[in-house]
Amino acid sequence: MTATVTTPAARGGRRLTKKSVVPWLFLAPGLLLALVFKFWPMAKGVWLSFFDVRPFLGDQWIGLDNYTRVLTDHRFQEAIGHTLVLGIGQSLGAILLGFVLALLLEGQARSLKFVRTAVFLPAVTATAVVGELWRLMYYPTSDGLINSGLNLFGLGPVQFLDNPDLALWSTMAMGIWIWAPYNMVIIMAGLAGVDRSLYEAAAMDGVSLRQRLRYVTLPAIRPALSIVLTLAAIRGLRVFTEVYVLTGGGPAGSTEVWMTRAYTLGFTRNDIGGASAASVVLLCVTLLLTVTVNNFRKRGDVR
Amino acid sequence: MGDRRRSRRLAAVLVVTGLACATAACGAGSDSAGGDPNTLEVWTRSNPDSAATYERVFDAFTKKTGIKIDYQPVVNFDQQLQSRASTKDLPDVMINDTALMGSYQSQGLLKAIDPDAIEGHDQIAAKSWSSTVGIDGKHYGIPYSRQAMTLMIRKDWLRKLGLQAPTTWQEMLSVAKAFATRDPDGDGKADTYGMVVPGSAQNGYVAWWGAGFLWQGGTNIVEPDGKGTYKPDMDSPAAVNTVTWMKDNLFCGDNAVTQPGALTAVTSTATNFQDGNAGMYMTGPYNIVTFDQALGKDAYEVVPAPAGPAGGDALAEGENIYFGAKTGKAKQEQALAAFLVSAEGQKLAMTGGNQPVVRIPVNSTLDAATVHDDARWSVVQKAYEDASRQFPNAPDFAPIKQDTADSLNAIFTYCEGDVRSQLKELNETLAGDLKDQDLLK
Repeated sequence: MTATVTTPAARGGRRLTKKSVVPWLFLAPGLLLALVFKFWPMAKGVWLSFFDVRPFLGDQWIGLDNYTRVLTDHRFQEAIGHTLVLGIGQSLGAILLGFVLALLLEGQARSLKFVRTAVFLPAVTATAVVGELWRLMYYPTSDGLINSGLNLFGLGPVQFLDNPDLALWSTMAMGIWIWAPYNMVIIMAGLAGVDRSLYEAAAMDGVSLRQRLRYVTLPAIRPALSIVLTLAAIRGLRVFTEVYVLTGGGPAGSTEVWMTRAYTLGFTRNDIGGASAASVVLLCVTLLLTVTVNNFRKRGDVR
Repeated sequence: MGDRRRSRRLAAVLVVTGLACATAACGAGSDSAGGDPNTLEVWTRSNPDSAATYERVFDAFTKKTGIKIDYQPVVNFDQQLQSRASTKDLPDVMINDTALMGSYQSQGLLKAIDPDAIEGHDQIAAKSWSSTVGIDGKHYGIPYSRQAMTLMIRKDWLRKLGLQAPTTWQEMLSVAKAFATRDPDGDGKADTYGMVVPGSAQNGYVAWWGAGFLWQGGTNIVEPDGKGTYKPDMDSPAAVNTVTWMKDNLFCGDNAVTQPGALTAVTSTATNFQDGNAGMYMTGPYNIVTFDQALGKDAYEVVPAPAGPAGGDALAEGENIYFGAKTGKAKQEQALAAFLVSAEGQKLAMTGGNQPVVRIPVNSTLDAATVHDDARWSVVQKAYEDASRQFPNAPDFAPIKQDTADSLNAIFTYCEGDVRSQLKELNETLAGDLKDQDLLK
């Protein structure tokens, strides 16, 4: 965003002309809001991560202590593992399902429009509501929706959320359900841009469905997929609400992720410094991941 | 054309200035209430129902003294308080859990209180006052409401199965099993459970619920040595026996002794008792109003906590009135506190159709059962006075509670685990928590 802003100003010479000021004025509201609500709190978070935070007794500079404490805490290390499993599983699952949904629901028919809207609903529903819904669906007796279904086949009841070996996967399933439609929309936009004549040509060459996907569809929706991947990489690591509303990190910490651990540190144990340090580490990792994904994308584009 | 461009520019400038002013005004607006010496900002941790009771109390106070109250019921109190603390602008008066006093005080959020400066301080029992003494020997809170956990149990189910309300752990267990297996609601389906447990580690719930069991089993989470320091006590034989009993019988034993999903349940999701499919719930008396509405007064009774091998002490807790640090309205705050603990203020908070916010009055001229006009409250009062214990109020108990909850939740989840080594690990963690506060013996 900043790059596009500075160009016209630079072109207008170094003098402060009206022409150079006006765009800035237009940008001012947005920048001001971003400064007050985004960059300032962010900078403060980074600053606090070096302190033992006690607002009313005076913060104490403790250097990197918060970082060592957070990174050597075994519960945090477990949480990082869970975050990776959940983030990667949820992202890939949601992209795959989104892709399948997009292929199935692409088209102009009115019925498809209706189904598309229905399918998109999870993405616009508040995550807290979705969490409550899934708690009911996962209810661990044969009264629960999923367990009553299993019951028909003589299976269950399965302890979806109370079994520490299953809870993370149950959370992942909900995450995929939430995010797949979101990806679907982006991929569908990509699909709409695929040149139809390519399909026709492929059909004349007598390709199989798999070959058509591999050599026509996938290359054509590369840009859409890379957007979806970038978004997923960012979202995957900072997953919080899904876990918080569904399991609260339990049972036995088996679904504890990076952000729920940071939240517990900050607000249950009143260790704001430690929570800030944890968040800063997450910020750095996310940044790194985004840059890496972007690099791969650019390299791919050049090729 | 030139005109239009100029007017556009003018518009842009106006928009930007307007926005900037609005943002600045917003920033200034938040502490404008702090400026008026005759308005107190008061926070309580309340849902809308109990907030309605507080509103009535504060209205009466304003009518009497002319001091206005800017009342904020806050559900996620501690999260909000942390954000407010970071701006160094605290509410003037807060009413919140007794167990949080040490935590607030260690962060410097509270003003020290001289009991003598509060009118009517002599009507509060010495036992209650002693529970507001901080680590440095000064008072940091004014007692407001007290309670002890009691056992809520389905009377009609007991009658149907020909059982008595339990008085010991063993009896409680057999009642729970009977409730789970002998179809007490008579619908021919196995859809009832023995007891409700908020067993999640979130916010330390399982430690809060389980504290009574630990005391009844003869252990303490941290043991005071009387000289202001503490020793963790979770690896003692009594602790191992108690936690093993809980694990084997309540969580890893027969199905349906506890409600399904107990290990991820917090109080707001553990609704099986009021939904009518679980028979017992060890909880605080603030739920009485809710249960009366959901089940009916005749459907259940309130009995003291069943006793374990070392007695029947249940968890006592309650709310204190706290004064935010650096607010500079001491006179008005003291006037509000005096009204809140007066017989009039306490009575208002105990009656009126919504959830009562004073359960057992701290004002010794009042009797809970008489004011609530309900004999069940005398069970709670008796439990509080004779068979209850509080979490230690001086240390910052939040990390201790959270670590205990994390450990208990894990022990109850992994049935094949070794309780002794898990508790040993917990004990080391607790020692670390105490050491962080320079309180380890």
